[in-house]
Amino acid sequence: MDLNEYKLIYDKDRTIIQNKQEIETKLKRIIGESNFSASEIDIFAYTKDASLIGYNWTLEGTIAGLADYITWPETKEQIVEILKLANKEKIPVIPFGEGSGVVGGAIPVRGGIIIDMKKFNKIIEISDKDLTVTVETGINGMNLERYLNAKGYTCGNIPQSIYTSSLGGWIAHKAAGQFSTKYGKIEDIILGMEVILPLGEIINFKPIVRKATGPQLDKIFIGNEGTLGIVTTATLRIWPLPAKRTLVSYAFPTFENSLEAIRHILREQIYPAVVRIYDKDETARHFRDMEKATEKVMTIFVCEGNERLVDLEEQITREQCEKFSGIDCGEHPVEHWFETRFRVTETSSTPQYKLTADTIEIASSWENAAKLYHRVTETLKQIKGLLLITAHVSHFYPNGIGMYFTFAGVEMGEETNFEFYQKVWNTTMKAVLESGGSIAHHHGIGINRSNWMEKEWGKSFKILKEIKKIIDPNNIFNPGKVFENLWKGGAN
Amino acid sequence: MQEFMEKYKWFIAEINKADKDVKRKIFRNLSRVKKDFHPTEECKADVSNLINCALCPNMCRFDCGTLQAEQKETMSPSYKARIGYYISMGKIDPTKAENKPFVDLMYKCTNEESCKVWCPFEFSVVSLLETIRDDLNDKGLMPDYCKQQLDKLHKTNTIENHNIYLTYKEKNIKNIETDGNDEVYYFIGCEMMKFPEVVKANIEILKKLKIKFSTNLEQRACCGGPTFNIRDFETAKDLGQKNKKLAEKTGAKLIVSDCPGCVLTLTKRYESIGINLNVKIIHIVDFFKQLINEGKLKPIKKLAEELSNVTIHDPCLIARNLNDTTSIRTVLKNIPEMKIIEPIYTKENVHCCGWSGTAHWADKDLAIKEAINRINELKETGSKVIISACPLCELGLGYGITNEDKEKIKIRDISELLAKSL
Repeated sequence: MDLNEYKLIYDKDRTIIQNKQEIETKLKRIIGESNFSASEIDIFAYTKDASLIGYNWTLEGTIAGLADYITWPETKEQIVEILKLANKEKIPVIPFGEGSGVVGGAIPVRGGIIIDMKKFNKIIEISDKDLTVTVETGINGMNLERYLNAKGYTCGNIPQSIYTSSLGGWIAHKAAGQFSTKYGKIEDIILGMEVILPLGEIINFKPIVRKATGPQLDKIFIGNEGTLGIVTTATLRIWPLPAKRTLVSYAFPTFENSLEAIRHILREQIYPAVVRIYDKDETARHFRDMEKATEKVMTIFVCEGNERLVDLEEQITREQCEKFSGIDCGEHPVEHWFETRFRVTETSSTPQYKLTADTIEIASSWENAAKLYHRVTETLKQIKGLLLITAHVSHFYPNGIGMYFTFAGVEMGEETNFEFYQKVWNTTMKAVLESGGSIAHHHGIGINRSNWMEKEWGKSFKILKEIKKIIDPNNIFNPGKVFENLWKGGAN
Repeated sequence: MQEFMEKYKWFIAEINKADKDVKRKIFRNLSRVKKDFHPTEECKADVSNLINCALCPNMCRFDCGTLQAEQKETMSPSYKARIGYYISMGKIDPTKAENKPFVDLMYKCTNEESCKVWCPFEFSVVSLLETIRDDLNDKGLMPDYCKQQLDKLHKTNTIENHNIYLTYKEKNIKNIETDGNDEVYYFIGCEMMKFPEVVKANIEILKKLKIKFSTNLEQRACCGGPTFNIRDFETAKDLGQKNKKLAEKTGAKLIVSDCPGCVLTLTKRYESIGINLNVKIIHIVDFFKQLINEGKLKPIKKLAEELSNVTIHDPCLIARNLNDTTSIRTVLKNIPEMKIIEPIYTKENVHCCGWSGTAHWADKDLAIKEAINRINELKETGSKVIISACPLCELGLGYGITNEDKEKIKIRDISELLAKSL
């Protein structure tokens, strides 16, 4: 196999490593032969992440990015030594968890050394008294959650990617799970961390519940996307498994009715663990056998926790839904969601039909939520070749929401599928910003959104760039992401 | 088709709403799937499902034993399917020596099928890899480590360098040749011959039950299970016919085996190559469970303290292939004062011992790593006895346990405990 025979998507500005063999010898010395590879079979395995366009590329036999070396360190000291070498030789370093990111964050666009964290997978300690677990960050999310469940706890972060993602990935891309309205997002769940900085310094943030000890420096590593450091260990909040769970669903006449019902539920300080609004198109797609939901907006709830509190949550949820013209659809739609939420088949089917598809999540205030939804969907419908644009809302706060758009379409004329893909992404980002929203809720920036960081952040982006320069002076940590723009596609 | 149309009704409605250029393009794309993404040459590869698996976000990765053992992306299920797909499409040429690692990857699977539990398409990755192995065999590219197994089967009728069944005398196993009037044929797995104490325990139990049975070790051949993994169906048929003939000779209406691999092979796998033994075939622990439930088998003795606190390693072939997670537990629970501590990954969610499928031939270190992982999970229960019911598991776990731990933790077959309690 000759990797050079494969078309490479990100083929510009690759780092040229002159003394490749010498670096290989040094890396092997640091981590041992069995934890190092420069062989094609391993390099090829790290050419992609889970970006949906990547599945089209996989089918076409195209690769996204090409690393030079793969490493699987087992100790933090080994990571430190790799980083010292990478800094000295100015070689990019790409931290890698489970490769489930969907914005290109783990793609080795400039070549370099992949640091795969999978061997950092130990659960160090559970404290029942403090309700915490301390764990290495290479652990797969589902394996962490299964372990906790077996011991009578949950971490509460259950993203759709839980089977395929790592704790390190959750921290790096600032994840949010399906049960986040009750249990919080990863930044609410993390109490403490150990981080290795790009120059090799190891720092710790104490797992104490709150500290008034100056600015919260730890927060810059949550969502750093492998550009500022590698989180090796984290202490997370955990919860005893809920004593009771109830399933509730309502169909609303409009998207706005559903949003209003939920806004009022949250105003009463009621936090169902799961809340999901499906717009009319997604309702037709996911709940086609529900007659009551025809031409309506399906909304599902899962209330869980203390039995008496759950009863109260359910009661208030029902009252508010009915106040906003919701029709009770019973437990079945929620059971259907539980049964199907991990049965992901679309990534396998759409590329075969040469459809370009993706999901794009964004955040909004309540004030702008409905406006933003209509603005994005209407704007995208103007793009030639776009076949569907739908949305659901799956993350809620008393002060706003996280919304999820799904699109699919085909490139037309001379356009490539990648150009079409970029156009839809960029058009969405522009419409979101113009509607007062934020460009990402929980997948992060990666490659796909970096073009919009200046507009999202305004002047404060300069400060972030300065921080990056201080922490990673040689710009070796995951280059091409967050701080740089690799996409040239415009927006409608 | 009707189901497909119903499922994608919403999508067809979306296509119909599109303008005619877009509609034309989409229908063109839909009609070209085979042409654009399937091999032009005829092959045995299950290309449609290889694509489904290669383009999946790896929804089973957390439970893939080889990936969890190696902790390298290279071992992930979707990547294996991706490579299989590229081999079938000619993007990776399996005849080139430099591509041997890609060919070997098609064999680095333990057949544990935990992937099937989570698969959105409800297949197991090994079922896809086997179709690639079929194509490789057709091209004369069977790896040497598979050829070596076949060679042993051809020469010794077993998966060992010598006919392991004929070692019964030196192991003090009582052989019983059939007189043609048996109630039960005790079909000893060739790998179980490495655990004579288990075979002896089973013979002792069957004798105590006053069941007329035979073991026929002078005439025995391997069930042929390995040939199905290697995908050599000629050898499989040859061994299948030998076993059918011997089974018929016993006159038994029931075959019990101490190896779940043998049970799977004598039933479903033989059926797939047109051989039917026409008798009931079950695992011996299932047989003992039934006899306990019928009151015909009564464990009465409390076992020594060091054997009374056990954890269970469900053989994945019993738990997931034969769909039986109750037999081992029923037998154990009927032994007086037996305490069972379940590991986290148990019953249908059991993790593999590493010693099934072709992985332990293709990459022994990988299989040992998987065995070590499983031993660590079982150790976490704090139990000093690991109970299983499969010679491959008992072999694999034996590789996974350190010499130091061997002093403290015993790996035992369920039959050994049962025999002691009668």
